[in-house]
Amino acid sequence: MLVGIALAVWALVRLALGYPRRDPALRQLSARDQAFVRAAADAVFPPGGALAISGAEAGTLAHVDRYVASLSPRSRVLIRLLFFLLEHATLFFPAPGWDGFRRFTSLTPAQRAAVLEGWGRSPLAVRRTVFQSLRAVLTMAYFANPTVLRAMGLAPLAIESPVVDADLLYPPIGQPRSAVRATPADRERCVPRTPLDPHGPLDPAYREPA
Amino acid sequence: MNDPRAWPGSVRVFADYDRDFRLDADVVVVGSGPCGAVAAYELAAAGKSVVLCEEGPPFTPADYEIDGALSMSRTMREGGLRFTSGTVLPTMQAIALGGGSLVNSAMCNRTPDFRFQEWAEEAELSRTSRAELEPHYDAIAEFLGIAATPDEVQGRRNLLFRDGCKALGYSAESCPRNVVGCRGSGECFTGCRPRAKQSMDISYVPAAIRLGAQVLTSVRVERILASGRRATGVEGRVAAPFTGAPGPSFRVDAKAVVLAAGVVATPLLLQRSGDLANASGQVGEHLQFHPGTSVLGVFPDPVEPVFGATQGYQSLHFLREGFKLETLWAPPGVLAVRMPGLGHPLKQALLDMRFASVFDGIVSCRRSEGRVRERGRSLHPAMRWTFHPDDAAVLGRAIWHMAEIFFAAGARKILPGVAGVPDELHSLAEAEVLRTRRLRPSDIVVASTHVFGTTRMHGDARRGVVDEDLKAHDMDNLYVVDTGVFPRSPAVNPMFTGMALARRSALALAGRV
Ligand SMILES: Cc1cc2nc3c(=O)[nH]c(=O)nc-3n(C[C@H](O)[C@H](O)[C@H](O)COP(=O)(O)OP(=O)(O)OC[C@H]3O[C@@H](n4cnc5c(N)ncnc54)[C@H](O)[C@@H]3O)c2cc1C
Ligand code: SF4
Repeated sequence: MLVGIALAVWALVRLALGYPRRDPALRQLSARDQAFVRAAADAVFPPGGALAISGAEAGTLAHVDRYVASLSPRSRVLIRLLFFLLEHATLFFPAPGWDGFRRFTSLTPAQRAAVLEGWGRSPLAVRRTVFQSLRAVLTMAYFANPTVLRAMGLAPLAIESPVVDADLLYPPIGQPRSAVRATPADRERCVPRTPLDPHGPLDPAYREPA
Repeated sequence: MNDPRAWPGSVRVFADYDRDFRLDADVVVVGSGPCGAVAAYELAAAGKSVVLCEEGPPFTPADYEIDGALSMSRTMREGGLRFTSGTVLPTMQAIALGGGSLVNSAMCNRTPDFRFQEWAEEAELSRTSRAELEPHYDAIAEFLGIAATPDEVQGRRNLLFRDGCKALGYSAESCPRNVVGCRGSGECFTGCRPRAKQSMDISYVPAAIRLGAQVLTSVRVERILASGRRATGVEGRVAAPFTGAPGPSFRVDAKAVVLAAGVVATPLLLQRSGDLANASGQVGEHLQFHPGTSVLGVFPDPVEPVFGATQGYQSLHFLREGFKLETLWAPPGVLAVRMPGLGHPLKQALLDMRFASVFDGIVSCRRSEGRVRERGRSLHPAMRWTFHPDDAAVLGRAIWHMAEIFFAAGARKILPGVAGVPDELHSLAEAEVLRTRRLRPSDIVVASTHVFGTTRMHGDARRGVVDEDLKAHDMDNLYVVDTGVFPRSPAVNPMFTGMALARRSALALAGRV
């Protein structure tokens, strides 16, 4: 009986307590998810170094939340299960050190990196797949930050879209057909059609703030 | 006729549906991807009244997301997170007017004759050869302006592939694509902002509307209606863009039904319509892919990969050995997913991407197969597929040849992305491990966007779902025209062959309704 109660208390503390308050601006992720994504993002993309901005600084958490919100309910559950799994898998694949069994978010940054490294380099293909899935979510979110893409020289270039017949047929998604603004004359508008210059101006969303 | 708003056909969008509705047509086509769009156009051109049903919305440049993850969540089924069980294989199917053509790289390859001969032997076909399909390939090529990718938009990352192949004596071809006026933005995956790619939403679909076709977007066909050997129409619900939330119901009665919902969705529709057209038991079986993987090569000078056609060069040199090599670009965040490691070494590797080119190899598998089934009673698929070790070994050879081509082109290192092999290899001598080791399926991170086989064409009604006109063996007026009808891999990228087969089928059907 006592053992049962002790286990229940331990499970409660491990699973639910001690997380920082949930950022209410984020729609999808729970307090635990948020803490995990923040910690994992900084383990994958730590502060400093050649590409100075860290995962957390790059706004990875907000992007992951937005991404998760855009998914189907089933995909959402899968992603959140992935976070849950890695948060608690230290019970079976602990971090180095006597306290390596603590949940992922309670580990030191070095321990977190070691844990993820262990998943990524595991001889078990399924563990590598789990790691790759997490890293895919975090990497895509990191790359959504314009500063990151600019630093890498890979920010999208400015492009003006010419008007074609289809633009007179389809409104922007979710709007009625009366929202079609293009007219037949717009098709004649002169828009550059030459090869892009890789050193040309960036898309406005990726330009350095003035 | 110069103003599309005055064309005889029409397009309806989500905001247009405020009540249940019912339509009549000679032919109803389900799915507006490359195969369905060609079929709808040819039927309309033959004077038939056509209703084209598409679950996804039309995307305009204002709707494109340049960011890879957000784009996938809008344009791909299951937000781009679809994968098979068995061997975990991520795979993407689009949900948009134009289907896969909205997000694909526009490579238009004709299936080689040797592969058609194999199809003919294995699937007992007598009228499906390169020569038979040539007029259909030609007509589509002319309509879409399919042409080799010009050198001035290749960008260095594509030309390095050409140079490496040339140095080794391997063939290298500039990719033929359905693109007119490419600017080399490398953004085919998120939608072509320069409107150069002739995706179906801006080519065949408007052309069909011009000829009188009615296009219903954001409608999900949920059932094919049938009576005995005759299909009588389809019914379903309006589906809200991105959420799929069901709206009013609709029904289209038609003299013939053409299914082009794609390799994954078409068998589900048949299964959920009382296991229609499945006396053979083959619907949903033989799920096949071109599993592929990419290798990244880093060069001494900046490659500036942000410029260049998405997939501008390819080598058909190894087709008979079972694989094809290509160049590849995608949103950097998507490409970076396959970089090794984490922490500061990963960040350093990311900075190398400006100096990088990416090649990929795809395998036309001989032994890897699976199946697709309904998950519960939904239109969501449960896909199972197993990567056979023999096919994985072929992919291993593709990886080795990509390494060779990179070093021949002057790369200073490559990132092969193979488990058990160093993250970085700095010379051909170091890369030798890729040649000598037989790779196992679990050593390689694979993905695939080329799918076929689940409604295969077969001369024997007991062993396939459709005949050579793509008419269901068991039905008098039900056709399946998507790439699910391929009996096996087409050896090259599938879209063009799917369209050619769809065109032939539509012309045959036009003579029958
Ligand atoms: C990223 C990517 C890159 C690719 N690059 C190339 C390439 O360069 N060259 C090449 O040859 N191939 C390429 N492919 C593959 C190619 O796009 C597909 O082979 C091709 O789109 C298949 O055409 P389809 O008409 O059979 O099916 P799809 O294009 O899948 O179209 C099926 C359509 O049916 C709709 N639909 C499904 N279910 C329903 C329903 N119940 N009701 C109504 N509508 C429904 C879907 O929303 C979809 O629009 C690529 C694919 C992807 C995803
Ligand atoms: S490379 Fe760019 S311009 Fe060329 S077809 Fe693709 S998206 Fe369009």
